Amino acid sequence: MNENERKILVLRFVVVALIFFALAGIEGILMRLRILNLLTDLFDERHFYSMMTAHPFVGIYGWAYMAVMGAFYFLVPYVMKRDVYSKRAAYASFWLMITGLAIIWTTTFATHYAPLYTLYWPIPVAVELAGWNPAAIFSFGMGVALVLASVLVFFFNMFATIFLPARAEMDGGEKAGAGYVFKELMLTAFNLDKLWAKVKGVPHYTARVFNYPVFVVAVFRGCVDTTLNAFVIGGVGVLLALFGASYLFVGSSPSHSLIDPLVYKNVFWWGLDLIADGNVLIFTAGTWYLLVPLLLNRQLYGEPVVRTVILADLVVSLLVWNHHMLADTPQPLALQIQGQIFTWGELITMGLTMFAVLATIWRARPVKYSAPLKFVLASITGYAVGGLAGIIQANYASNRFFHNTQWVIGIHGHIQLLVGLSLTIFAAIYALFPLLTGKALSERLADAHLLLMGVGGVVMGLAMGLAGTQGMLRRTLYPMGLGIYGPYMSVALIGALMMAAGFAVFLVNVVRAVGLGALVKLFLPHK
Amino acid sequence: MYPQFVIEAIYFGIILIVIAFIVVFYVLTRRGGREVEADGGHVKKAGMERGERNWILFLFSVALIGNILFLSPILPSARYTFYEAKPAMTITIHMKNYSFHFPETPIVIPAKTPVEFVVISEDLVYGFGVFRKDGSMVFQMQVVPKPYVNRIVWVFDEPGAYDVRSTEYSGPQHPWMFVRDAIVVEGGKS
Repeated sequence: MNENERKILVLRFVVVALIFFALAGIEGILMRLRILNLLTDLFDERHFYSMMTAHPFVGIYGWAYMAVMGAFYFLVPYVMKRDVYSKRAAYASFWLMITGLAIIWTTTFATHYAPLYTLYWPIPVAVELAGWNPAAIFSFGMGVALVLASVLVFFFNMFATIFLPARAEMDGGEKAGAGYVFKELMLTAFNLDKLWAKVKGVPHYTARVFNYPVFVVAVFRGCVDTTLNAFVIGGVGVLLALFGASYLFVGSSPSHSLIDPLVYKNVFWWGLDLIADGNVLIFTAGTWYLLVPLLLNRQLYGEPVVRTVILADLVVSLLVWNHHMLADTPQPLALQIQGQIFTWGELITMGLTMFAVLATIWRARPVKYSAPLKFVLASITGYAVGGLAGIIQANYASNRFFHNTQWVIGIHGHIQLLVGLSLTIFAAIYALFPLLTGKALSERLADAHLLLMGVGGVVMGLAMGLAGTQGMLRRTLYPMGLGIYGPYMSVALIGALMMAAGFAVFLVNVVRAVGLGALVKLFLPHK
Repeated sequence: MYPQFVIEAIYFGIILIVIAFIVVFYVLTRRGGREVEADGGHVKKAGMERGERNWILFLFSVALIGNILFLSPILPSARYTFYEAKPAMTITIHMKNYSFHFPETPIVIPAKTPVEFVVISEDLVYGFGVFRKDGSMVFQMQVVPKPYVNRIVWVFDEPGAYDVRSTEYSGPQHPWMFVRDAIVVEGGKS
């Protein structure tokens, strides 16, 4: 793939990601209105929950993953001065993701299938009790499996891009296989080569991880988390498809009790949490580590420490899932306390990441803040505000009154995702836009975008969080009236509308720079 | 004041400091600073490295203190689980087909008495949450279906009526899993 082909690939990913972001935003605003008990004639509870089922898939995989995939398909080869390993695999990941999400969205919209993203066993297959359509279970399961298949294809493509050429150089061009990539990944991601050198007594050994730029280290360590996540969540998709097929073709399903609900929940959260605590945090850190030194033309502060921090983040991320199980009393208490203690470890790893980025900026004084740098600073604020809320709720004692409330999804989840992660993605878009299109975006419109989206996200998240401490649950409609939660939800709606306005400003900025025609042409066949 | 409100107040205090710090940082870094070396500004000065070490130490201390506080008997949920676990009475509740099945309606409980709630789901994952009349949550737990039995011990200090709601989504019927005045606590201070 030449550079121009890579640019087109990246722009296609980013444009589709932005479409999914808009879709997730529209769903979010519609759900906000429905929570306020408006639009009740337009959609009932089933419709609301089916929308709530599609919303995180569209938002996380459609927006965040597509944008990250696009950015990494450009940045990893750019930083490593190599080509993407496989163009075919790159486009396979593109189409698998779009197809999978289209199936999920269409299934939930057409059939009102609504197991939510949590998929707690046996809710997704409870045909008789919940009234699900068996065809919907099959189709939804297939959609989930395709989405995660896309993720797997992408990450194997990334691992091969990062690790394979080194082997080709070492062995005089000898073709290296998947086994080699896996071995290299394990050795490098977990510093096992250094450990082995210590066991062997090799003096002054430099770990292989130091052969790679810190951004690439964040990419492959984050990819370890995400690959594991894809196997678990993709596996759940296959499981649902099998149960759905059994209903469809045999007329009944295997007994639900074949799957232990608590073991399932542990495995599910272990896998799912790797997105939140592994992938999101590590990829974000990697993006900051790349953008800030590039934008300031300065070396990253404390780079050796930062590499260790990424490893610590990876290890911690594998051991924190129990903070989702603190309200499950059959869960062994020792595991719950372990989950609490390790979650505090994320305060340390994320705190060190922020410190390295802020110290890099501090050393570059006087700083001329460009749009991407402002977005990075705002995203750090988002992670601090949302991350602290997450640490607070992830304790055994406080979880008794925070679990499943609006606090969790508002002040932690949405601020983390919309102000922390999304503003990081927009920082990357603003930084890459001139490189990819040769056109500049308006700084003034970028400021308006940042202000509306950053403040809107915080207003929405804090209002939801305040409702949460008052006792308002997430994933719950209040058909008998919102009572004291009503004013908080009205303020949250204002925050959501501010974010929508911010996104509209961003779109105007892009269209002003390149024109609508160029965006359409992007999807036409290129010679 | 309910414990969640105290935590919320502390949290808001901290994030106000964080936001103020970022604003001040933004203003200060726009202004002039000290000279940095041409190699990209990676100046190996003891000050900054010491600063990094101090920051790590600070973060570890916060994590340690946070864990100690949250595992201490300050919050009632930790107190009843780790320190005062002997219930004086047990109430068994069944959940099936999106309904609560209470042993009596309302369930009458003496104030200031450790009560164990045993909740068993016959079919799906549910939640069991107890709420004050102002909507605030007293406690909750997830209800993992059979073969698991879900238990929680609680002491009600305040007499009065309490509502029960399923705190976990289990299907579109979930919002209706609400029982007004399901628990009445008698005795104690009014």
